[in-house]
Amino acid sequence: MPRIAGVDIPENKKIRYALRYIYGIGPQFADEILKDASVDPDLRAKDLDDQQLSAIATYIDANLIVEGALRRQTQQHIQRLRDIRSYRGDRHRRGLPVRGQRTRCNARTRKGKKKTVAGKKGVKG
Amino acid sequence: MSRSLKKGPFVDEKLYRKVEKQSSATNKRPIKTWARACTIVPEFVGYTFQVHNGRHFTEVFVTEDMVGHKLGEFSPTRLFRGHTNKKEGIKLR
Repeated sequence: MPRIAGVDIPENKKIRYALRYIYGIGPQFADEILKDASVDPDLRAKDLDDQQLSAIATYIDANLIVEGALRRQTQQHIQRLRDIRSYRGDRHRRGLPVRGQRTRCNARTRKGKKKTVAGKKGVKG
Repeated sequence: MSRSLKKGPFVDEKLYRKVEKQSSATNKRPIKTWARACTIVPEFVGYTFQVHNGRHFTEVFVTEDMVGHKLGEFSPTRLFRGHTNKKEGIKLR
């Protein structure tokens, strides 16, 4: 199984789709990489030769931030918002939506699973 | 939607002039302001503002990291004291 960008091991899929399994690479970057490395996007990942793999890896190293480095960068940006005590940093700290969405209902992605409050409408206290 | 680049960042004229006037003076007194929508420009770094939140003025010391944000982002307008505890009937905290 081919290895690209450190730990990621895509599989029997076409390389165009396999690349998207790397954190930080989506449809757009996948196509961009293959075009620049002049690799046929319809080849299966396992059918790539070493030279093609290294061409892909070189392009990623030179132009993109992926995986751990990208996760760290994102974390740093959030940490900056927290450190300067901005409104957005505060929302991150409280685990509430950051971009002005309503929180009266929904917002479950940020707030996590529902915490039922006894005595609230309809719930037996 | 973000602001048109053509216009440049929104900086409150009066506030900017006040900062300029103080930059020559040695002691920097905090500047009271209601201009929450004013973008923090590099010239503001090192100043203390008192930003109104609708009730009182919050002291905001501007650091380099804050450039590009708005003054209002650092002066929260809402105060959340936690939810009521139904059984006790009183506010906790």
